[in-house]
This record gives sequence, C-alpha cells and structure tokens, in this order.
Amino acid sequence: MAYRVLIVDDSRSMRAFVRRVIDLSGFEVESCLNAANGSEALALLNQQPVDIILTDINMPEMNGEDFVRQLEQRDELRSIPVVVISTDATENRIRRMLDLGAKGYVVKPFSPEALRTELERVLEVENA
Amino acid sequence: MPENAIAEALTAAAGDVLETMFFSPVIGEATPETSHSEPAIMASLRFSGGRSGSFAVRVSAGAADTIAANFLGEETDAPEPGQVRDVVCELANMICGSVLSRLDREAHFDLQHPELMETCSEPPPGSVCRFFELQEGQVALCLQLDSAV
Repeated sequence: MAYRVLIVDDSRSMRAFVRRVIDLSGFEVESCLNAANGSEALALLNQQPVDIILTDINMPEMNGEDFVRQLEQRDELRSIPVVVISTDATENRIRRMLDLGAKGYVVKPFSPEALRTELERVLEVENA
Repeated sequence: MPENAIAEALTAAAGDVLETMFFSPVIGEATPETSHSEPAIMASLRFSGGRSGSFAVRVSAGAADTIAANFLGEETDAPEPGQVRDVVCELANMICGSVLSRLDREAHFDLQHPELMETCSEPPPGSVCRFFELQEGQVALCLQLDSAV
C-alpha cells in the first residue's frame, strides 16, 4: 500500500532530507506534501487528505505542539496519525508530545530503517 | 555542569549527527588553529528550557559543501550557496539538540531558529569548544550555558 504523507518542518533542506530517507527506506509513498509550519499544514489539510503526518516541533508561527493540539481538536483530522521528528530526545518532551496526541516519535539523528520502522509501527497500530 | 561532561556530549553528538545524517564521519580532533585557517560558514542559536545558553558551529567551506551535498542527496550538481548555508543551520540545530538531550534526559528545551554569523567572534565566556577533522575540512562547536540565577 502506498501512503499520502505530509512533512511539516521550517527547514526546506530537512523536508527534502526526510523525503529522501523515506524513499531510501522503501516506504511506499503515493504523494508527499510539504508545509513550513503548523498553520501551513492545517491549510493544506483543509484541501487534501493524507494518511500520515511527520512534524518537527520548533517552528515559527505554529509550532509542533500547537499543531498536534489543533489536530486533536478537529474531528475530521484527529484520526490522522502524527509522528514527531525532533532533535529533542528528553523524556519529558517525548511524553508531552505523545500525551498531546502524537502516535510516534523519531529522534534526530535517525537512520532510514529507524524512520521506516516507526512509520510502519504507527500505521499498523492505526489500521489494526 | 562540569566542562568535561559538556566536552564529551559535544564529541558524541558531533560524531553521531555528522555520520548518521550528513554521511561525513569525524576522523579525528582538530586544533583551533587548523579549524580557523580557511573560509567557513558559521551559524549560532539560543536555547532555553531546563538549561539556557547559546550554541555555535563553524564549518570550513570545503566541509560545508560536502555535507550539504550529502544531506541533500545531490549526486551531480553542487548545492547552491543558499542551500549550503541552510544545511549548516540544520547541522547547528541538530547537534545542539543532541548535545542538550545528552546533558539532561529529563528537562526539555526549546531551540531558536539558527542564524548565520557574518564574522567569527570570540566565544562567550565559559564556552566549551571542540574541534573536529572531517575528510573535507573542519567543524568547530562551542556551547555556552547561562549561569543559574
């Protein structure tokens, strides 16, 4: 099965890297949307559905915490699984993002295999 | 925070991030003199949370071009200067986050967006700096923690 993916990160180079790593990992992508922050991502999601969202935390305008919080508050978006990709490996942050509604968390630096494993785990849980 | 703990975290984070995300393994330690002997791209950022302070990275031009090409997956064309600068900012962001996570697994932190530095200024007092040799040049890292009030 191929998935529709949304990558949310304020760094264009990081978005390109994540997309490349997803491709390298063998994870099947039907389409890939990009947004530079939570506000842009919400605007995109109003127009196009996706199967999974990968988001950074530290972003201008709307950060990852507020973005996940907004998704949880909207019935039509709450079911989309969110995987956080962040340099922050502290237990408090990971717990906080999962408590807010994120379904997965990948710490930078990460390998293609680690990202694929987390994406598949999250999607398997969602589809179970 | 003991200086050697910060130095160990800088070394571990640099090796891990440069090899895993930028495919440019550290091949040894460099000296401040060799690290400042050629043109470079510099970026810095502030952080807050459990700990606050600043972090700066200086990447020699040759190393910056290579890590940018590796990160972006450019196999034929060299990255544009703007792309190289963007990647150096991303490198600063990633190493800083990795260092702070290693220094304290409990407290979370917020990183400001990295900014490019036009000139190489002296590190703030109390900074811990480490210098690394890559195949294509050098990377210098400096971390400064604000004093607890």
